[in-house]
Amino acid sequence: MKPKKRVVTNRSTAADPYAAPRRRPALAGPVQARPRGPARSDAPAIPVPSRVADVDLSVDLAPARPGALALRNPILVASGTFGYGVEYGEVADVQRLGAICCKGTTLRPRFGNEPPRVTETPAGMLNSIGLQNPGVDAVIEKYAGLWATWQTPVIVNVAGESIEDYVTVVRRLDGVPGVAGIELNISCPNVGKGGLQFAVDREAASAVTAAVRRATDLPLMVKLSPNVADVRAIAKAIEDAGADAISAINTLSGMAIDRRRRRPLLGNTYGGLSGPAIKPVALRIVYEVAQTVRVPVVAIGGVSGLDDVLDFLMAGASAVQVGTAIFADPLLPERLIDELAAYCAEHGLASFRELVGVALPKGRDRPSVKGVEYRP
Amino acid sequence: MRLLDAELISSREILPAQWLQAYHAPSLAGSVRAGQFIHVRTPDYSGLVLRRPFSVNTVDRATGTVTIHFRVTGKGTEWMSRARQGERLDILGPLGRPFEVNPRTRHVLLVAGGLGMAGVRALADEALEAGRRVTLLFGAASAAEVYPTSLLPDEVEYVVATDDGSLGHRGYVTDLVADYEAWADQAFACGPEPMLATLARLARGRDERLGVAHLGRKGGRTRSSAASGSAQARRRAWLQVSMEQNMGCAVGACLGCVIHGVDGPVRVCREGPVFAAEEIAWGEPA
Repeated sequence: MKPKKRVVTNRSTAADPYAAPRRRPALAGPVQARPRGPARSDAPAIPVPSRVADVDLSVDLAPARPGALALRNPILVASGTFGYGVEYGEVADVQRLGAICCKGTTLRPRFGNEPPRVTETPAGMLNSIGLQNPGVDAVIEKYAGLWATWQTPVIVNVAGESIEDYVTVVRRLDGVPGVAGIELNISCPNVGKGGLQFAVDREAASAVTAAVRRATDLPLMVKLSPNVADVRAIAKAIEDAGADAISAINTLSGMAIDRRRRRPLLGNTYGGLSGPAIKPVALRIVYEVAQTVRVPVVAIGGVSGLDDVLDFLMAGASAVQVGTAIFADPLLPERLIDELAAYCAEHGLASFRELVGVALPKGRDRPSVKGVEYRP
Repeated sequence: MRLLDAELISSREILPAQWLQAYHAPSLAGSVRAGQFIHVRTPDYSGLVLRRPFSVNTVDRATGTVTIHFRVTGKGTEWMSRARQGERLDILGPLGRPFEVNPRTRHVLLVAGGLGMAGVRALADEALEAGRRVTLLFGAASAAEVYPTSLLPDEVEYVVATDDGSLGHRGYVTDLVADYEAWADQAFACGPEPMLATLARLARGRDERLGVAHLGRKGGRTRSSAASGSAQARRRAWLQVSMEQNMGCAVGACLGCVIHGVDGPVRVCREGPVFAAEEIAWGEPA
């Protein structure tokens, strides 16, 4: 019952930076491991705590730059849901997270959109923050020093209105201690100019990725929009332009009506849908992108429990970002790390990476990257 | 701010579709101040993905209980209204900044519109405890929605206005302020935004109407004399308002509850919910 492996992050075994000992536990049967706290000491025969501790959760999200974005675990927090890592204070332990994607950062300060900016929807929420942020210089000045003291890497989410904007922001972040990588936000649905236009067009996505790639040696992750007909051609173009990883997905464009006032509820009319409602869409896109590109795919979209993490890993993601669910449960990312380790121990996996892509079609039936035959 | 598990002790409908619930949460009761709020998570099976923010209505440190007062407006509050005694809820709090009463203030004017009572109610207790005199002006649509006097301390002077005149003054609660603006050393308000905007306009003209001179202070008591958003700025303000906005995280991370401040965007959950009236960039009053 050895699972067939398709480890996306480590194509070449020779360059495997983890070379984790493929130790098989003595007994591969299911073990009752509790998600929180020490595992049960009265579990029969098997020393559960050591086994859970033996599980390798590490993952390299930029294999082309070994060690540059090597995470201790594959649970990240998504941009816009965890601020700059400081807002939850003592409530959540940032030091345990795989990485933090900070709030979208632009060249100049932005006020963002008119209130109201958020509203709950069935199994999800709409937001139209509009990239409010103090600008890249203020972000560096205020937070980078603190980030440099953390063991958790901070990936700065970068947005812009033009390719020059992106390049300028990334140049300023390049070499700043505390900045571990860049997540290129070319898919924000809530701003008039910039944002989405780069994510819906293959040439534009390629151009902005290539320009940013030339501007920095930082690990570069590009965040895809689901608001496109076929994401695969765009993902391929982004990979070819030099991205180290691809994150998917940003929010789906949506809206809500204020029935009492008889007008759109959000100040910006449109907002981005997130939360459990979008998970099936995210899963489909991750599944498609993982078959199209060879760089690691980082899944985002409705992760609210271990089952969601497992689904995304099996669909080809090398890591996941937790977003909206943090608002209800700030401790969820930490718990998912423990639960994933316990799951791997229970299923006799030396590393969670053995799960990555196991649900992808084997060999044949790979979808075309041309995207013309796509039928939803 | 911390996450805690609170048990529902009592729940009752004090007005049509308005509920008063008491929770046992000793650490919260020991640390929360009037004007702050809590962010409540309904259980997973409620199908909701966001927490719900509530002002802390009253605090009883001796028994370690806090009460919240809410109107059933959607699925979350409907679920909460059906919660039974013994139900445990996950609470994040205390959150936000409290009302700041100037130590020299003797006369406290509270102004509440409808459910805004929940925002200022705790301050009545705090002010009385500190030996201050409290007048509470309350506005509602009709007598059926007037907050019951039995739920207020006896020492509070309670003045009511109703839109239809079925109880007390006929008209807006803001009409009543003129009678008390000279008496009040400070005013604290919570309610619909048009009400707060009207109060802010009244507060701006108050010094001139009363002929208040700011002797010994160069340039008078200006906004810039204390850093905007600071406790000092609120303490010096004659009018403090508790603002409301849809919220996501309630800790300042998501920027979902941002409104316009005079110096730029402010987060209701973090810089607020209590602001000095002059810190808010008010829209055109209705």
